[in-house]
Amino acid sequence: MVPTNLTKFLLILSLVWLSQYSQAQQKYTINGYAKDAENGEELIGVTVYVNELKVGTATNVYGFYALSLPAGDYTLIFSSVGYKTVTKQVSLTKNETFNIELPVEVTSLDEIVISGDPIDANVTDITMSRNELDIKQVKKLPALFGEPDIIKTIQMMPGVITAGEGTSSFFVRGGSADQNLILIDEAPVYDPSHLFGLFSVFNADVIKDSELYKGGIPARYGGRLSSILEVRTKDGNNKKIGGAAGIGTLASRFMLEGPIRKEKSSFIISGRRSYADLFLKAAGQENLVHFYDVNAKVNWKHNNNNRFFAALYLGRDVFNFDDTFGFDWGNITGTFRWNHLFNDRLFSNTSLIVSNFDYALEFDDDAQGFNWTSNLQEFSFKEDLNYFINTRNELEFGYHLTYRRFSPGEISPTSEASIFETQEIQNDYALDHSIYLGNEQRLSDRITLSYGARLSIFQNVGKSDVYIYEDPQDNIDIVHKDTLHYDHLENIKTYVNLEPRFAARFMINPRSSVKVSYNRMVQNTHLISSGTVPIPFNTWSPSNYYLKPQLADQVAVGYFRNFKDNTLEFSVESYYKDIDNVTDFADNAQLFFNKDLPTEYRQGDSWSYGLELMLQKKEGRFTGFASYTWSKTERKIDGVNLGRPFLANYDRRHVFNIVGTYDLNDKWSFGGSLTYSTGRPITVPAGRYKYGDTYQVDYISERNGYLLPDFHRMDLSATLTPRKNKDRKWKSNWVFSLYNAYSRKNAFTIYTRVQQDDEGNIINGDVKEARMISLFPVLPSVTYNIQF
Amino acid sequence: MNKNILYLLALITAASLMGCEETVVLDSEQVQSKIVIEGLVTDQEKHHYVKVSRSGEFYSNGNFSGVVDAAVTVEDDQGNVFNYVHNPSGMDDEGYYLSEDVFAGQVGSSYKLTVTVGSEIYTATDVLNPVTAIDSLEVSLNEEEYDDPEDEGYFYEILFYAKEPQETEDYYLFKFYRNDSLLLDSETDVYYANDDLLGESIDGIPTAGFYKLGDRARVEMYSISRQGYIYYNDLSSLLNTDGGMFTPPPANPRSNLTNAALGYFQVSAVVSDSIAVE
Repeated sequence: MVPTNLTKFLLILSLVWLSQYSQAQQKYTINGYAKDAENGEELIGVTVYVNELKVGTATNVYGFYALSLPAGDYTLIFSSVGYKTVTKQVSLTKNETFNIELPVEVTSLDEIVISGDPIDANVTDITMSRNELDIKQVKKLPALFGEPDIIKTIQMMPGVITAGEGTSSFFVRGGSADQNLILIDEAPVYDPSHLFGLFSVFNADVIKDSELYKGGIPARYGGRLSSILEVRTKDGNNKKIGGAAGIGTLASRFMLEGPIRKEKSSFIISGRRSYADLFLKAAGQENLVHFYDVNAKVNWKHNNNNRFFAALYLGRDVFNFDDTFGFDWGNITGTFRWNHLFNDRLFSNTSLIVSNFDYALEFDDDAQGFNWTSNLQEFSFKEDLNYFINTRNELEFGYHLTYRRFSPGEISPTSEASIFETQEIQNDYALDHSIYLGNEQRLSDRITLSYGARLSIFQNVGKSDVYIYEDPQDNIDIVHKDTLHYDHLENIKTYVNLEPRFAARFMINPRSSVKVSYNRMVQNTHLISSGTVPIPFNTWSPSNYYLKPQLADQVAVGYFRNFKDNTLEFSVESYYKDIDNVTDFADNAQLFFNKDLPTEYRQGDSWSYGLELMLQKKEGRFTGFASYTWSKTERKIDGVNLGRPFLANYDRRHVFNIVGTYDLNDKWSFGGSLTYSTGRPITVPAGRYKYGDTYQVDYISERNGYLLPDFHRMDLSATLTPRKNKDRKWKSNWVFSLYNAYSRKNAFTIYTRVQQDDEGNIINGDVKEARMISLFPVLPSVTYNIQF
Repeated sequence: MNKNILYLLALITAASLMGCEETVVLDSEQVQSKIVIEGLVTDQEKHHYVKVSRSGEFYSNGNFSGVVDAAVTVEDDQGNVFNYVHNPSGMDDEGYYLSEDVFAGQVGSSYKLTVTVGSEIYTATDVLNPVTAIDSLEVSLNEEEYDDPEDEGYFYEILFYAKEPQETEDYYLFKFYRNDSLLLDSETDVYYANDDLLGESIDGIPTAGFYKLGDRARVEMYSISRQGYIYYNDLSSLLNTDGGMFTPPPANPRSNLTNAALGYFQVSAVVSDSIAVE
């Protein structure tokens, strides 16, 4: 069998290769954690550089580093953006542990003196097509309703496209919104939106670090085709009790963190709730809408070798209309992690993860009352290992097991008199095993390689009935030829895919490099939606008897160059992505409550290519970035648009963004962003006819054949930090935002209707008009934040 | 799911005095006109109609040209052929064809429409399914509407009662009339149903619109085939699309007509009931 052989092969390969290294000369290991000196938070991506050997490493996502060096005297340089560089002299005669604390760089208004660090991640790091978000900067940027939102900043990154304002979806390098794996503390979030996308579920107060992988994706990640958005929350201050609170135009936030046992264990808890509904209620409005989020985390550092973390996220949106109709949706995720050092060089992270997404609709009525629920649950076990072999090789490998349960829908009457009867679309179950192995190898001072592979074994299992159709593509005359019954956990279909990953970096000189990467990604969970932007009422389906795994191959090449002592980072990247079996649906597909959903599946080809430019300044009074993306994304799918190629509905040819903040003095800082993009394609009528006595029907000829008008918008913000802050225990600031500063009416969508006046009265039932909806005019907001 | 989500989003944004809609002019490419066919055969003994016209530009004024020189026939599965003639009374619009003879469709039979326009032939076949009886209609005062009527005096609604046969797979189309004129809550409403989620008792479902004292309400219930259900469902989606933001991209309804003609040929059993609002 293929999987067994492959597994064996990889195992043997790694063993042979490890033993080769164990015979190398006697070396000692320096390892440890890098932390923020102020609050004890582990720091990710701190570079650790050995001056004498001109080699280095960086702390992993858990803040851990390890270096294996021959005996000798060394100068270790620890550096990270926003922190003071720390230098440590080491006389290495045995294995050593250095837990290092980096003091925060106090932003001085005198022009920053550049340390002249020999290392800069933009140029030297092997990863390309990756963007990190500076949460401190996100908080200073203008925000819709004063709610800082990382997704809105991600939407400005090169290679990322948005379908329009007011949505939390993003589209990476030609991938649809469901091709992004969105992780909070390693747990997947199936719908990251509040209020249909006006905000994302990520509360800026608790975010420690977030990064977006768009290409060259490391072997430890898998499951979605186009990107990985990894959001990590803070562990909680383990030195002193602290907190933060914010009052915004739409929502308020509160966060408390502190040690449980000093330096040993800490907690963080935070909550956020919108309160527009409270005002509406006071104003006698009966249509009520609200959302809330809770993040909680505790950690316990038993000793340097054993650390435990437990994190919880839960969030929900609730809509109520006149007490008769309501719906709600939300995510719950939980992560339990154990970081363990098997030895000086073998770091392990073991995780247990659970994620739940569900929604419910209820209509309270005697005759037509019903209750509709749907949910999706995921349970994962993950074992991830880092083996710091020597200064030239860092190995990562692991095993992930995931069990998913999909309940697409259950409907039940709410009263005896209801016309509805209880009905359920049967559940789907899936088991997903993945093993991966990757090595980052420094061949020479100039060349670093990263190579590896991920083997995904995906099984759609029972209990389930599978209908065999006379013609699975016929969604009109549906004929069940046969029904296959599968028992609990009985294998229905297994898909085995090998996902090779490769990246290389070539240093041209200390200030510039060229990087190339290739990755294959496999996606076995499919969003059942044919709108442009997913809505919370969409369901998901595993790869199954009919639905094949989606496969993406992407190659990317880039040039990276730093200017002005690494204060200016520039990159240009180009990519080509080819997707097989991209999941789409027949024209007019019925995706809700359809027990014959397989007849609506249409899978085909998608391809995308583009060029991305990025210029970023991370230090100094002025920080920010400018990005430009040229890209094109098309699809060709039998049974959609008559099998002719069409532009993806999130395709935009040109996207240009500028985001920046400027610290004027210790009292005022300013932020601004400017975005311009060409319109996205939509489907508009190519004619009209009349059916029946009344219906004025549009005639449609070409899918996505019309471009919405260009999109552009400028947002501004100012942050006021009162000077009296210095003398008091708690600090405060005011953030003033101006969203859509020049009140551009940006098209959200266009629909047609018969000619009506402003009140909606029909003027002429024989004439139709096109209506453009735009969401936000100029929109000021104020947020007051305190920190203690 | 249709434009509702858009309305919700609009509601959220409108709650804070935002959200904005305006009429824009589409300069989309207009394609050649297509043949549009609409026909209905019922189990009632009468002259049945078929309408043949052509589509126009999106911004046309609604006078879609009727096709006056088509050859129209309907043939049942017994081999009976019914010829249609163009506007025999001269009272109807152009493009309106009536069967030469009266006939009643038979439950269980299928009917094939053939329309020939020039050298192009369009056909469609549909089957006549039985329809369940309307048990009764009931007049009821809608309190919310009574408190705040949209039109003065119009606050009575008509409740509908029937038994849904559970052993068969049925599809329905409804038409509601107020004093003989068709009544729709919105000009894009299509009233149709399948029985997937329905139990046996249909007790007191309100029909569209509101009535005043002295009005006469009539409900017509048509059986339609699965193909007919799909057509009306697609038609409803298209009429109510938000342009493809949250809904699927707009697409032409799937029809039983061949040769890429637009419209639908429907064959139905029909029952009706009426009640005076008093």
